[in-house]
Amino acid sequence: MSERSRRDQWSAAGLIVLALGYLLAGRRYPLDTLATPGPGIFPLAAGLALIALAVWQLLAARRRLAPSISSETRDGATSRAPLIMIAVLVLYAATLPRLGFTSTSFVLVLVAARLMGLASWWRLVVLALGVTAVSRLIFGVWLGVPLP
Amino acid sequence: MSELFVALTPANLLACFAGVVLGTIVGVLPGLGPAGAMALVLPLTIKLGPTAGLIMLAGIYYGSMYGGSTTSILVNVPGEAASVVTTIDGYRLARKGRAGAALAIAAIASFVAGTFSVVALQVAAPLVARAALAFGPAEYFAFALLGVVLLANLTGGSRVKSLAMVVTGLMLSTVGMDPLGGTVRFTFDVAGAQAGLSFIAVTAGLFGVAEVLATLGAPPSAGPVARVRFRELYPSREELRRSVPPMLRGTVLGFLIGLIPGPAATIASFVSYGVEKRVSRYRREIGTGAIEGVAGPEAANNAAAGGGMVPLLSLGLPFTPSTAVLLSGMLLMSVTPGPFLLRDHPHVFWGIIGSFYLGNVMLLRLNLPLVGIFARVAIIPLRYLMPGVLVLCAVAAYSDNNNAFDVWVMVGAGVMGYAMRGLGYDPAPLVLGLVLGPLLERSLLQALTIGRGDVRELWSSLPATVMLAAALLAFVAPGIAALVRWAGTRSARA
Repeated sequence: MSERSRRDQWSAAGLIVLALGYLLAGRRYPLDTLATPGPGIFPLAAGLALIALAVWQLLAARRRLAPSISSETRDGATSRAPLIMIAVLVLYAATLPRLGFTSTSFVLVLVAARLMGLASWWRLVVLALGVTAVSRLIFGVWLGVPLP
Repeated sequence: MSELFVALTPANLLACFAGVVLGTIVGVLPGLGPAGAMALVLPLTIKLGPTAGLIMLAGIYYGSMYGGSTTSILVNVPGEAASVVTTIDGYRLARKGRAGAALAIAAIASFVAGTFSVVALQVAAPLVARAALAFGPAEYFAFALLGVVLLANLTGGSRVKSLAMVVTGLMLSTVGMDPLGGTVRFTFDVAGAQAGLSFIAVTAGLFGVAEVLATLGAPPSAGPVARVRFRELYPSREELRRSVPPMLRGTVLGFLIGLIPGPAATIASFVSYGVEKRVSRYRREIGTGAIEGVAGPEAANNAAAGGGMVPLLSLGLPFTPSTAVLLSGMLLMSVTPGPFLLRDHPHVFWGIIGSFYLGNVMLLRLNLPLVGIFARVAIIPLRYLMPGVLVLCAVAAYSDNNNAFDVWVMVGAGVMGYAMRGLGYDPAPLVLGLVLGPLLERSLLQALTIGRGDVRELWSSLPATVMLAAALLAFVAPGIAALVRWAGTRSARA
């Protein structure tokens, strides 16, 4: 099975799960009649359309399957840096309202630049301080955005 | 028409200048595209007021088309998808020592096409807006549906994936209050979600955060930058003469393609290149470093940017992520684009048009002497730029509603955008589904109500019938073409 077909099958399955969850959550909104359509009609149509498209994608991916079972070689180990960055972003969103914009953004820039390969610590600190201070100044002070 | 001179006030001139400089830098930098950059500066533009703010956003939009060609020619790295085709002949010209001439022709072609497209926009937008006054819910539904189907056909990747992303965008657009009855849907009792998912947060996540994550996963590399001296910027008489026909063909083609939903600037540049390879007197040289391969595509992608403004300004329908951000900016500034824009906000309408003229002159003046500096922007290490992009994304998302929930939306959209890249899904159809969702839903439900439940109301008028038929044709045509090809291969084998 080719890597691409396998990914397409998995992503199609993910879309079906998403659409089913969406339809399930949308059951509470009334459909009413076509003459006086309720708030549930459009979500129902969209959910069903996504299932149909995902099934179409699934079938297309199955048709593309290579006859041999030999799998393609992966292009090396996946870098862990994006996963660490995602975890840092989740922490950022969680702590932003409590710790405020300045301190959380300082840490965010510090970690992001480190993950990008900036090795020198003093450069990291200067960059993080600079980005945070300039953003605070432009958006918080000058433009009056009520940053937390 | 006298409102055209609104663009000449000092504040608007400054906004136009800032917009085109930012746009050029965004165009030069590979990765962060104009839509993402426009979403990031939205908080700033809102503070400038509707006319100056929208002039700045529009400046970023068409400025990026200019900037994209610089790195294509000098570094062989296209700053924008629309400049990919320019690398073929542009970089070869640079290696022949004609980088300056190629850059000058690219800037002149962009200027000619940009100016033509503004004139055409100035004429076409009011005419289309006047015709659209007769449009009811059925016509709007049909037009938006035609737009999303055409978009799915033209994004270049898998059609079923594009359609799936459009529908996912439509689903996301149903979060919050329903557009007719005001019922709160899919919020799961989260107060911040009642107003719906912030379009800015989703765009900042899908384009900005996802770009940072992708860069972390696979850092891009840039080659050496060709040095260009100011005196080398003059193209020879022969190069200028040869550039005129492809420039004119690219301009007309680009504007017409810009009217069609989809990644018009990219398609226009490829179509123009293809046309030159067929009709140019020097077609045999194209691909080996011919000036026609720069002049045509560069004119086409700039003209397409102008063409894409026609459906936005006259119908309120954006068909590219960049014009979708412009629409979002307009709505945030209490300006509703569409048939009534010219009547209700003539200053904004003519101010934007006027700024296009000025912006094109500014870009020509900027791009030629400063080309070396802009090219150097492309080689600033991403480890210095990308962390700042993350903070800008967070500010843009938060400031949309002053709501921490939108930062969560941005993070979620970023992770989704990163996963979508890995799985081969284009984020542009999702963004357009999100933007067009409320309009599609409202017009569908209104048409059904007007028709008292009779679905035939949807094709009760000639324009609606024509657009629905075109949408159906666009939906089934690729399938039929594939069937015909399959039958042809089978009969050939037999």
